[in-house]
Amino acid sequence: MKRIIAFLLAAVMLFSMAACSNQENTPNEQPETSAKTALTMGYTTEPEGLDPQRTAAASTFSVTNNIYDTLVSVTSDWEIIPRLAKEWNVSENGMEITFTLRDDVYFHNGRQMTAKDVEYSFNRLKDAESPKAKDYENIVKIEAVDDYNIKFTTETLDVELLKRFAYPWTAIVPEEAADNLKTAPVGTGAFKLKEWNPQQDLTLERNDNYFGEKAKLETVKLVLIPDATSMMASFQVGDLDIIPLTGDQVTMVENNDTYQVISEPMNAVQILSINTDNEILKNEKVRQAMAIAINKDEVIEASMFGYGDKIGSHLPPTSPDYYDTNDMIEYNPEKAKELLKEAGYENGFDINMTLPKNYQLHVDAGQVIADQLGKIGINVNIEIVEWGTWLSDVYTAKKFDTTVVGHTGRLDSYAFLARYKSDSNDYISLKTGEVDQLLSDALKELDENKRTEIYKQIQVILAEKLPAIYLQTPRTMLALQKDVQGMEIFPIDVYDFSTVSFAE
Amino acid sequence: MLRYVLDRVKSSVVVLLVVSIITFAVLMIIPGDPAQLILGTEATTEMVEELHAAMGLDRPLYQQYLGWLNDLLHLDMGTSYVYGESVKSLITGSLPVTLSISVFAMIIAVFFAFLFGMLSAIKKNSIIDYFSRSIMQLGTAIPSFWIGMVFIVYFGLKLKLFPVSGFVPFSDDFGGFIKSITLPSVVLAIGETGTLLRIVRSSMLDSLNQDYMDMAKVKGLGARKIYIKYALRGALIAPLTIIGMQFAKLAGGTVVVETIFSLPGLGRLVLGAVEHRDIVLLQGLVMFITAMVIFITLAVDVLIMFINPRIKSFQRGE
Amino acid sequence: MKKNLSIVIGIILILLILEMWGLSFAYMPYPPNEMNISERFLKPDFDSEHMLGTDNFGRDILSRLMYGSRNVLLVGIGSVTLGTIFGIALGAVAAMLKKAASSVIMRIMDGLMSFPGILLALMIVTVAGKGLKGSIIAIGIFMIPVFARLVYSMILDTENLLYIKAAKSYGTTNRQIFFRHFVPAMLPELVTQYSSSIGSAVMIETSLSFLGLGIQPPYASWGLMLSESRQYFLTYPYLAVAPGIAIIITILGFNLIGDGLNDMLINRRSHDE
Repeated sequence: MKRIIAFLLAAVMLFSMAACSNQENTPNEQPETSAKTALTMGYTTEPEGLDPQRTAAASTFSVTNNIYDTLVSVTSDWEIIPRLAKEWNVSENGMEITFTLRDDVYFHNGRQMTAKDVEYSFNRLKDAESPKAKDYENIVKIEAVDDYNIKFTTETLDVELLKRFAYPWTAIVPEEAADNLKTAPVGTGAFKLKEWNPQQDLTLERNDNYFGEKAKLETVKLVLIPDATSMMASFQVGDLDIIPLTGDQVTMVENNDTYQVISEPMNAVQILSINTDNEILKNEKVRQAMAIAINKDEVIEASMFGYGDKIGSHLPPTSPDYYDTNDMIEYNPEKAKELLKEAGYENGFDINMTLPKNYQLHVDAGQVIADQLGKIGINVNIEIVEWGTWLSDVYTAKKFDTTVVGHTGRLDSYAFLARYKSDSNDYISLKTGEVDQLLSDALKELDENKRTEIYKQIQVILAEKLPAIYLQTPRTMLALQKDVQGMEIFPIDVYDFSTVSFAE
Repeated sequence: MLRYVLDRVKSSVVVLLVVSIITFAVLMIIPGDPAQLILGTEATTEMVEELHAAMGLDRPLYQQYLGWLNDLLHLDMGTSYVYGESVKSLITGSLPVTLSISVFAMIIAVFFAFLFGMLSAIKKNSIIDYFSRSIMQLGTAIPSFWIGMVFIVYFGLKLKLFPVSGFVPFSDDFGGFIKSITLPSVVLAIGETGTLLRIVRSSMLDSLNQDYMDMAKVKGLGARKIYIKYALRGALIAPLTIIGMQFAKLAGGTVVVETIFSLPGLGRLVLGAVEHRDIVLLQGLVMFITAMVIFITLAVDVLIMFINPRIKSFQRGE
Repeated sequence: MKKNLSIVIGIILILLILEMWGLSFAYMPYPPNEMNISERFLKPDFDSEHMLGTDNFGRDILSRLMYGSRNVLLVGIGSVTLGTIFGIALGAVAAMLKKAASSVIMRIMDGLMSFPGILLALMIVTVAGKGLKGSIIAIGIFMIPVFARLVYSMILDTENLLYIKAAKSYGTTNRQIFFRHFVPAMLPELVTQYSSSIGSAVMIETSLSFLGLGIQPPYASWGLMLSESRQYFLTYPYLAVAPGIAIIITILGFNLIGDGLNDMLINRRSHDE
């Protein structure tokens, strides 16, 4: 007996020795004579393949933006700047745009990029398998004028046309590699894919033939960590250089000598969408009562720990067309009860609220709202569903009363607001049609100031009619180790690692 | 014996077929559509329909199923639409992770269960009996993600003894491999040891009461020899069955532990496939996991028949 | 009496939980779902109004814990009862009818046991609906194979005993044999298994909540409270303490009772001459 125990104990010790043996040569302790060139970043959602024209997943684009290039780029200040295109010309009637391409761009496979590749990529973007095809329907003709000039023609006037060439799904891909881009991406970007282990990590390495300024980092390793606690623990141990930050964790890393926090309002809105086909919710007074019964500050505190900006309509404060409508809806539960009484619902009523499980931010906000509505007699039944179920039941089949969700990531206000057209067939819209004409006008108005004025009117109408109750623009937050420089947050869901480096 | 194994294999094929049909049916029942999931919240109905057709999802369900079955018979498990990689390579990629933590967890569990199970049977109602049983009972009562979090914070963050997350392949770095699977394996073992210990103890007690034990004592054999050579051997059957079941359960994927420790194992692959409604990947995974579980159970049963041939007749009677 | 120490401790632990359960009908310090955002994340302090503190919505943890005991007991006892009834029925039918019925039923049980748990739970919950009912049915179905296999093997074990053979030769029907002879013979094992299964059911409930398939917010169950606390484990670790301890006490209690019953009813026959 003792012999067996002794043997087993020895085995356990052997294991633990093996476990400790490697302690000395962990990568953290390599001699640091010069600045580090290997960055690791944590992320929570796996990319759905690395093909920019075969998915709509933000998790894909944040990676592919480093592997592929688009014709133009957007800065963190919403400015459109040249990228693959050196310059561009818009025809007098605004229906044609011609880009002049750089002549020094090579794909990762060594072939030079020409206008033919741009033509191919945009046709690919518009084909049946492309999720974003619909957005580019208005482009009816794509024509390579010569090797370095490409012309796009639209069917109707679209004043925001240029911005459509900055989105990561308009990346230029080479035809010869197109079939395997999901796992073997070939682009022109500052980085190329070194290795991807699904469910685990993804490593990018510097493209030494990049046409622009070469990246300072040699490799960028993205590590998939689904759990927020493990993420923060890995960051504090020093295994990760950058992590996305949740609101409750800010206190752990701010005002600290070893970490820094960067934060920007997302280009997004969190809204309580209302099904106006519902007998009760059809009533404008009921919706107004609900809007003033909701204490948005509490919603922001509970869902984002205060890291969000209150909104009154469907545009985020970062948008150039933003108009502040917060004064139009002031928290007042007493008045809300009166409004309900006027609408004939003195004793309240029951409604359902469907919340998407994968988004804690919306689930938390929804629970607070349900509690607040309960105080004016509206009994809210919460149902938390998977994202897939949410999309098919709520978004497509429109089987819902209310839901909390976010709408994200466009550079032009029209794309944000188009769903409110009475005939949009979207899960929310303003069925009474007050914004229809304004929206069509906005798309055709060439004068920027007049356009902003139109968008202002639309925002005011939405704040009055309340096809949804507008809650907040949450902030994107990243925690960085002190020595990380040059990381930026953009108005669209992308990262750009080419400007990131470590301090010496 | 061979006939018995063949019979079992035959009925396993039936089980697999049933399971594959059920999986397909499940995806019919659960709302959600892969095309919609790809398109997200900026999609229109027409876009969804077009993509649906492009992905071949507009075919009648039985056609999709038969197509899948036909590919499977040609040893092709298809390609996952989320990862764009073959299902086979995804499974072979995550299997080592799950197997490593399951095997390591079972080694730990078996070691402690036998050590303390035998001791508490031999010294029944002694301090050591009560002590080991209550500690192990406590183990079965602790939710795994709770103890997992505590481990991450204490051993990972505070003491920095083990990595907080991730998996290091065996071939890359043996020390790193052991380190990366230690915490998750211990968490799993904590949950499994209690049950096993209880079985070891009671079958050891059974075995100690058998007539041949008295014989052995009469013959004047040393205590150690009696316990190891006779009692333990007689007491192996029941624990072996349980070990088989526990191992089969762990090897089928351990979502909770894999999520907390960010391990790219089978459990998370299943979860991802369900979330994305990736039917091809899910079918492949369910087939594979079910087959593996059936195989492990069969292997254990055969092993038991070798140890104790008396069981054979009973099993055949099934 | 010393032999039944485990049963005594087990009963004491379960009485603790039952007391909390009973009290929840008479008195709770606060309504368990009432939010108060301005008082969220209060640390436990026995002298304050919120003895166990408040959660991320400012809800009183003690009240939620008390309310949660109702769901935990309902899910634990309800699901195991469900599993026991169907398990016994299926196992008995399989064992006594033999042939086709036996292999069909036992193959289905094999399938159930080898099918990945998440998928099974997801399917059942989708059909039965989330929340209390769904949890009871899902966990109940998880429990069926356990009881079916137990009953199946016990009947095969005992059917060759003389008195059963004798009864058969008198032309007693299967049903009579089952209720007169098999049930009394199996009772100790079944009672033991029943008690320990409640422990596992409570554990499965925490896993269901972890996956978001269990009791739905804003209602409280301990598993849900624990999985909600996960997000704040680094910043507000005390959130995980109260529901964690409550779960451990419950599982430990039922397991100890099962263990004690096992010693008292089953092992006694063979060990204590």
